[in-house]
Amino acid sequence: MNYSLVDFFTDPVLRAPTLGSIFMCLSSSLAGVIVVIRKRSLLGESLSHASYPGIALGVTLLASFFSPSSDGFAIAVLFCAFISSLVGMLLIDLLQKRFSVKDDAALCFVLSSFFGLGVLIASRIQTTHALWYKQVQGFLYGQTATMQDIHIVIYAVLLLVTGSLIVLLYRDIQMLIFDKAFGQSIGINFRLVEIVILFLTVLAIVIGIRSVGIVMMAGMLIAPALAARQLTQSLKFTFLISGIIGALSGFLGNYFSVMIPYYLHAEKLSLPTGPMILLVASFICLLALLFAPQKGLITRMMRVVKFRRNCQLENILKALWKDLGRGVTLKEVSSMQNLSLSIALLRIRKLSSKGWLDCTNKRYCLSSSGEVKAREIVRLHRLWELYLVHLGAAKDKVHASAEEMEHVLTPDLEKQLTDLLNDPLKDPHDQPIPHKGGK
Amino acid sequence: MGIMSSEPALSVKQLTVNYDKVPVLWDINFSIPAGNIVGVIGPNGAGKSTLLKAILQMIDPLSGKVEFFGLPFKKARKKIAYVPQRSSIDWDFPITAIEVVMMGLYGRLGLFSWISAKEKNQALEALELVGMTSFANRQISQLSGGQQQRIFIARALLQDADIYFMDEPFAGVDISTEQSIMQLLRDLKAKGKTLFIVHHDLNTVKSYFDWVIMLNTSLVACGPVGEVCTDKALNEAYGKGSFVLDEAARLSLRRSSGLK
Repeated sequence: MNYSLVDFFTDPVLRAPTLGSIFMCLSSSLAGVIVVIRKRSLLGESLSHASYPGIALGVTLLASFFSPSSDGFAIAVLFCAFISSLVGMLLIDLLQKRFSVKDDAALCFVLSSFFGLGVLIASRIQTTHALWYKQVQGFLYGQTATMQDIHIVIYAVLLLVTGSLIVLLYRDIQMLIFDKAFGQSIGINFRLVEIVILFLTVLAIVIGIRSVGIVMMAGMLIAPALAARQLTQSLKFTFLISGIIGALSGFLGNYFSVMIPYYLHAEKLSLPTGPMILLVASFICLLALLFAPQKGLITRMMRVVKFRRNCQLENILKALWKDLGRGVTLKEVSSMQNLSLSIALLRIRKLSSKGWLDCTNKRYCLSSSGEVKAREIVRLHRLWELYLVHLGAAKDKVHASAEEMEHVLTPDLEKQLTDLLNDPLKDPHDQPIPHKGGK
Repeated sequence: MGIMSSEPALSVKQLTVNYDKVPVLWDINFSIPAGNIVGVIGPNGAGKSTLLKAILQMIDPLSGKVEFFGLPFKKARKKIAYVPQRSSIDWDFPITAIEVVMMGLYGRLGLFSWISAKEKNQALEALELVGMTSFANRQISQLSGGQQQRIFIARALLQDADIYFMDEPFAGVDISTEQSIMQLLRDLKAKGKTLFIVHHDLNTVKSYFDWVIMLNTSLVACGPVGEVCTDKALNEAYGKGSFVLDEAARLSLRRSSGLK
């Protein structure tokens, strides 16, 4: 079926999974920020798996008394998951404090033992109570399709709880992670804050497992926060961006799982929503890791390429300056600078477009503005050599460092060097240090 | 200032702190008159930071009483500012210089109150005092050690306290920053404030401090720098063989947790 964007929020079948997923992912991506900034990402993985025996046991016990489709049932199962997860957390704490187990070992131990227990209980009911078993499995990989309008209300309320706790505790969270000692000195009770944060994390996980599933929950906690961390340096915006990415993933996960089969004309293809949500979140996270304006891998690589190109341009200017205006052919530039002919041509063109080169009879020499620029580079080179010698380096060892630093030094550092060395006229090799601007 | 001048800025009575059964601070007694720059000195492991943390109730002492201007910690909290040790900070945390400084307001603000424009201006003024205005929106991890320390001093200034506790404020700081921080501290002293500074560079003790607390598990000496900072006292503080105590403390901890 073809649905419009609005249909996802109004259609009686689609609105519960869509809104439910958005609320869930929003709350987990907010709690995830705290987990990621505290460098406790593995905690989410352990706590979500620790909820499994609670769910399996909860469904088995509750289904004996109530109808699995009743409203109370959904809440009661979440409550069992919450308790189970909390027990897991207490066990992790106990292992670390009483048994001196390292935190990664404690986290892994609880993850696998609780999960194993859950699997055991679930397999017990697999053949005898297939319907209950299906309920339990729904939590394992996430199941949004069977959500009803009551779920919208439940998850909206839970989101409201996580959201307002974070707003209320914003400053305390900031102090706890950044500078706990200072917080203590102004009288913050961090024991209480820690308990609330723990409650918040477990709550967010328990909220999320219904839509993305136990196995994938940790990813939902981490991915939006990690992406946000790449994109901003402010805690407020980390929460904000993480929340937006979370909500967007919740929505797009639902949208794609319904619409991709439609676009592919494969109506029978069933794409589960939970993995789809996580894929969207992971994809956004990947984009952020690669292309974030400051920290992205690709953005940084592009900056390195640009810097290296700039070095080549400046080296050509320097070579032409030393050539004293006789003019150099393209071939000579290529062999002198160890560049291929095509690269050399590109660089020459770039320099010409900046107005730094003149060309007569296929021989290139510096224009007057190019000469000013070249003199500046030579000046930085020789200043740096002199500075290193001033620091005690041997005269014949300073050239290589200066070859690099001439491209790096800022006008501010140049001024500091000039002042420190009393505006010197000669470099350590008795070459004149050209003046800025003048001859 | 509203402070009774007769009360000492800080009085510590019979303060004992144990790590498990072994004392790290043993029966410390002293009182400090207001308006002094006080240096806390002693060898590594002498309990300098522990003393600061016990005074500020970050760790529970076994016994003892601490008063600020005659008041217990809870009532004196707003008169106190604290600059923690560098190693206790999470330097990866997403926070800007101005945001760090504004934390100095948190003790005064209620849970729900926003930071007003006036208060933000106060934070900017504090940044200006330490010469860091142009770095206001810089990420804390992008600043040099000396600049970071100045940000934390600015936060303490914004707290507008009467007594300042600083744990090694000169660690990882270049010499010119050390001088300018020292000048700020002297300005504070001129306003009648009391400063309590954990310090490890013996060369500068006599020029920096009015009053010295010399510590080596127990109190070696406490008094005006000229009277206290003698070779004999220094020898006692630094040459006491506290390594035996360290080893004993380690053993005690292992025994009581059931390890061999």
